[in-house]
Formats: sequence, C-alpha cells, structure tokens
Amino acid sequence: MTPQLSWYLALSAVLFTIGVVGVLIKRNVISMFMCIELMLNAVNLTFVAFSSFFRDVSGQLFVFIVMTVAAAEAAVGLGIIIAIFRNRESLDVDDASTLRL
Amino acid sequence: MVALLFILFAGMAIGCAISMVAQRNPLYGAISLIGVFISLACLYVTLAAPFIAAVQVIVYAGAIMVLVVFVIMLLNVEEEEWPTRMRSLVPIAVVLAAVLFAEAAFIIYFVQASPSTPTRNISDVGLTSSIGAGLFTTYLLPFEITSILLLMAVVGAMTLARTGGLLPPRAVVVPGHQVLARDVLDPRAVNDPEPIHARTTAEVEKILGIEGVPHVSDEDLSERSVRIL
Amino acid sequence: MDDLIHVAWLLAGILVAFTVVMTMVAYTVLAERRVLGFIQGRLGPNRVGPGGFLQPLADLLKFIFKEDIVPDKSTRFVYFLAPVIATTAALMTIVVYPFGPEIHLPIINKTIPLVVTRFDVALLYVLGVTSVGVYGIALAGWSSNNKYSLMGGLRSSAQMISYELALGLGLIGVILQSGTLDLYSIVEQQSGHLGVTGWNLIWAQPLGFLIYLIAAIAETNRVPFDLPEAETELVAGFHTEYSAMKFALFFLAEYVNMFTVSMLATTLFLGGWNGPFVHQLPWLGVFYFFGKVILFLFLYIWLRGTLPRFRFDQLMNFGWKFLVPLAIINIFLTATLQWSGALDYVNKFLKTSVGWGG
Repeated sequence: MTPQLSWYLALSAVLFTIGVVGVLIKRNVISMFMCIELMLNAVNLTFVAFSSFFRDVSGQLFVFIVMTVAAAEAAVGLGIIIAIFRNRESLDVDDASTLRL
Repeated sequence: MVALLFILFAGMAIGCAISMVAQRNPLYGAISLIGVFISLACLYVTLAAPFIAAVQVIVYAGAIMVLVVFVIMLLNVEEEEWPTRMRSLVPIAVVLAAVLFAEAAFIIYFVQASPSTPTRNISDVGLTSSIGAGLFTTYLLPFEITSILLLMAVVGAMTLARTGGLLPPRAVVVPGHQVLARDVLDPRAVNDPEPIHARTTAEVEKILGIEGVPHVSDEDLSERSVRIL
Repeated sequence: MDDLIHVAWLLAGILVAFTVVMTMVAYTVLAERRVLGFIQGRLGPNRVGPGGFLQPLADLLKFIFKEDIVPDKSTRFVYFLAPVIATTAALMTIVVYPFGPEIHLPIINKTIPLVVTRFDVALLYVLGVTSVGVYGIALAGWSSNNKYSLMGGLRSSAQMISYELALGLGLIGVILQSGTLDLYSIVEQQSGHLGVTGWNLIWAQPLGFLIYLIAAIAETNRVPFDLPEAETELVAGFHTEYSAMKFALFFLAEYVNMFTVSMLATTLFLGGWNGPFVHQLPWLGVFYFFGKVILFLFLYIWLRGTLPRFRFDQLMNFGWKFLVPLAIINIFLTATLQWSGALDYVNKFLKTSVGWGG
C-alpha cells in the first residue's frame, strides 16, 4: 500500500519528540544545537508532506525559507558558541547558567 | 514498493536520530545527524520534491554540518559524562516527550479520519520550475527578506569572530630590548609595518592594548586547540 | 513487476558505468605516471606489461597485500568511515552523466539513452554529493590523532568548501542559458552544426568555463591547489596515517573525483557526446565523450607537471576575493545578455535549438 499522509506526519512527530528529548537531556551546547536542527528538520518534513499530498507548492517554498533561516542561525549560533568557549573554557550549559564570566 | 522505501528511510531516520541523542561524543552525534539529513532527503524524493531534497543535502548535510564538525574539531570537544548532574531530568524528559507525541498522534488520528484528506497522486509541484515560479512571483517578498537575513548572518558571524584584544600573546619575550614584528603576535597585522619595541611580555601587552586579559598558557594551547593558519 | 524490471535496468546501468569508470581511472593513474615522466624527461613505469599496460594490476596487488597499520589512539569508527565516505561520494555522481545519445540495442530491440538515470535536478545532485565528499577528508584528518593530519585535513576541507561556492556560481551561467538542470537536456541543447558549433564553451560561457575549471581543480585538491596533501608539506596531509587498502580508497577517490569533474566539464561546456556525424552513427557519441574527458585528464596531468603550488593563504584569497566576484559578474553578464535577447540571436545560428525550453 502506498504511504499515507499520516505516516509522514507520524514520522515527523517522532523525530520532533526525539529532538525535544535531546534538548532537555544534553548538557553540551553543540549537542543541544544539533537537536534543535533535528526539530527544524522534522517540521520541514511535515511541510513537504503536506505540500505533496495537497499539491501546493507553498509548503516547499516555506521549507526553502526555513532552510535558509536555519543556515543563518547555524552560522551566528556557532559564532556565539565559540565566543562563549573562549571566555569560559567550557562547553557545558550548566556552567553558563549565570551572567557572570 | 514505495511503502518499502518509506519504511527503509523512516527507519534510518529514526535510528540515526536516537543514535544522535544517545551518543556522548558530539562528533558521533554530528555524524548521526548527517545520516538523519540524508535519509530525510531520500524521503523528500519519495514525496516528489527533488529540488528540496537536493537543497537539503547541499545546505544541511553539506554546509551546516560541515560547520558544526569544524567547530567540534577546533574546540576539541570532550565526551559528555553520563549520568548527567541532574539525574532526574532524563525520565522527566521522556515523559514530556511522550505527552507531546500523544498530542501529535491525536491530531494525526483526526487528519486520517477526516474524509477530506486527498489520496496520494504523482505530483509535479516539486519541480524546479514551479518552485522558481513561486519564489519569484507570489513569495518574492519573503525571498528578498531572507537574503537580507543572510547578509545579517554574515555580518554577525564576522563580528563575533573578530576578537581584537582577546588574542593571547604568542611570543614569550626574553628580557632585554627587542624588536618584534607585529604579525608574530597578531596574525591579522600582516600589513602593519611598524614593529614593537619592548623588553617584557607585559610591555608588549600594553602596546598591543590587551593587558589584563587572562592568559592561555602554552600547555593548554597545544593540548586544546589547533589554529589553522 | 514493472518496478523490478526498472530496478534491474538501473542496476545493470550502474554496473556498466562503474566498470567503465573504474577501468578508466586505473589507467588514468598509469597515464599520469607516464605522462608526468615524459614531462620531467624520464620514462614512467613501462616494465609490467607492454608499455606498462598491466601496472594498475600490479598496484592493486601491492595495495591488497600491504600491511594495514592502524594508529593506536585513533578513533576507530571514524578512522574506518572516512575513506568509505570519500570513495562513496566520489562514485555516486557517475549515474547522471550522459555517455552517449540514444542508441538502438540490436538483441533486445530497445532504444535507450546512454545514461544510467535521468532526473530533473541532476546538476544539483552532483553539487550535493560533492559537498558530502568533504567529510571524508575532514574526518580522516581528525581521526588520525596526528597534528599534521588534522591541520592538513582542516586546510583541505576549508579549501574544498570555499571553492565549492565558486564552482556552483560558475555553473549558474550554463543553467541560465539552458533553462534546465537535467544534464541530458543540456547536452542535447548543445548540438549545433556539425555537432561542434553548439558547444557552450566558445560562444556561450567562456568565462564560466574558466571559473569552473579553476574551481574544479581546487575541489579535487590537485596542483596548483594541493598544498594540504603535497609530499613536501605536512608529511602527506590528511592521509598520512592511512596505509594499504584504506589509502588505496583515498587515492581512488581523488582520481575518481578528477574523472567526475572532467565528465561534468565535458557535459556542460564541451557538448558531451556531440560531435561530427553523431546523429547518423550514435555509437560515435561515446567515443567523442571519452575523447573529451581524456583531454581534460591530460590537462590535469599537464598542470601537475608544470605549475608550482599556491600557499594556503594565497589559495583562500584567490578563491574568495577573486573567483567568487568573477563568477557573480559572469552571472550578471549572462543574465543581462539572455534577458535582452542578444544570446537568442547568437544561438539561432549556432545551436539547432535555443535554450529556455525552446
């Protein structure tokens, strides 16, 4: 049988929840960042699935824009991570929990 | 046949995602995430969206993750210790995720049960020409704003990487009057012809304007990070 | 059932393409050593068969029987994964190149185009797969637990991602003119009078071709851009700690990359399988295609024997501050000429069909 829309949506929900678990569990800043990227991709999958099943190109256009925003966020976010690492010598978010250097 | 492909790629995606969350070494996590991205790209192909699949591989797997892998290698990130300091967090996270998934399953059930869900046909909305047509006519404004966003990201990344005064002095000055080339201490000063006359490291710091900055000692430097140039 | 037949045809096509490419790559290695020898005033290897013909076989046997040394403190999984990624990414691109026009197979009585598969976004697929190939090098450098490997790997990856940008931008001129990302259509559109005048190189994209060629040589880490893996620098760069079969895989990946890039240049700029009398005798198309690819390979070897290499900061300056603006200027020029109709006027005389879905 051909894959139904709900299969893709279920897969997207599973990936999103795995990403949420990752963000809550992980302590390393870069690992948390990667879990956020996973969540963004799960949403991308939802958009593309809807775009394919309803034959509307807007879903894929939005995915395009989401990817661009994710790339911009990655660049600036990793720059911030490197700056934090230079100051604190540690990539642990628990160590960065106060504004004190 | 398509169902087989879906199960294969979905299994790969979920497997790599769980692997990414379970790995303690961030580099293995990054490699697992690349696996997720590639399997998602294959899923997009089964959804008749080849352009988005190719862009996913180029942008996510080929550019963003390269950046993340570079950062992991440059900062020489250590493995996480397990168990984490807040041990109670893990079961709470799993419970919350289960609640989230239950909500999503609820919505999916209603999407499936409603009669207006169309069945799947081969669609040609994913071709490059239709995406191009949409981007440049209906969605022109978001497209242009996205390009400004990317410009902001480039400027932001350059500003963050510019650390001027926080550079540790690379040369240790042996006491006695010396003439130092500026670019020995700061690689960005290659074109600055005026050398530094100094006797001690502290004097050099004062001239360069970086006094009072915590030093990274030489042992830490060779162990922790490697500079490219 | 239809699906299975389709899959069987695809597998057969992949097998044929793989065999052809691997054989040619093996003999490219031999050709490089001999041609380099002639440039340097000596003979290359010529003992192992008539004229050194069996040298690739000897090399293969040597690589198989060599001792496989694994550094003690390396990260095992990534150490083994890196050459696999490099080789896989290099080999995955061969499925989209059109080797010849539609030929009629006599026994099965079918007419098939000589390309493993045709799909809408073939050119983007090639760009994507070459982007993934960067990981092989970066991970190899890191997992060897060796300072020189790490620096070589990071430098090499930085170089590759910088020149990927120039590569992609240089290709946009061709895409603008052809109106499609499908490589088979791009080749079909380059059939001009006598099969020669329609090539994108001379009339359509001379600047684009130059940009693409320079960026491609930098992508494949060849001279003059091979600082990260030159023998006189950084020991041997990212593959210092690899021996025997894993080194053979990296070596193979580099030459397959060279071959792939030459095939892409032939397809986009030199007209692919187009040439004189190719519509009357379709099998000639295959000879024209491989002839042009061999021309590019000879160019690579010639450059290796002749040019000195760039220093790393000169290399990065060149890529970012010269090549990328030049590529953007190329896009502007092409777009302006296309929009004003000047190119259509020229193409009417040169190509038998005008780009833009005409």
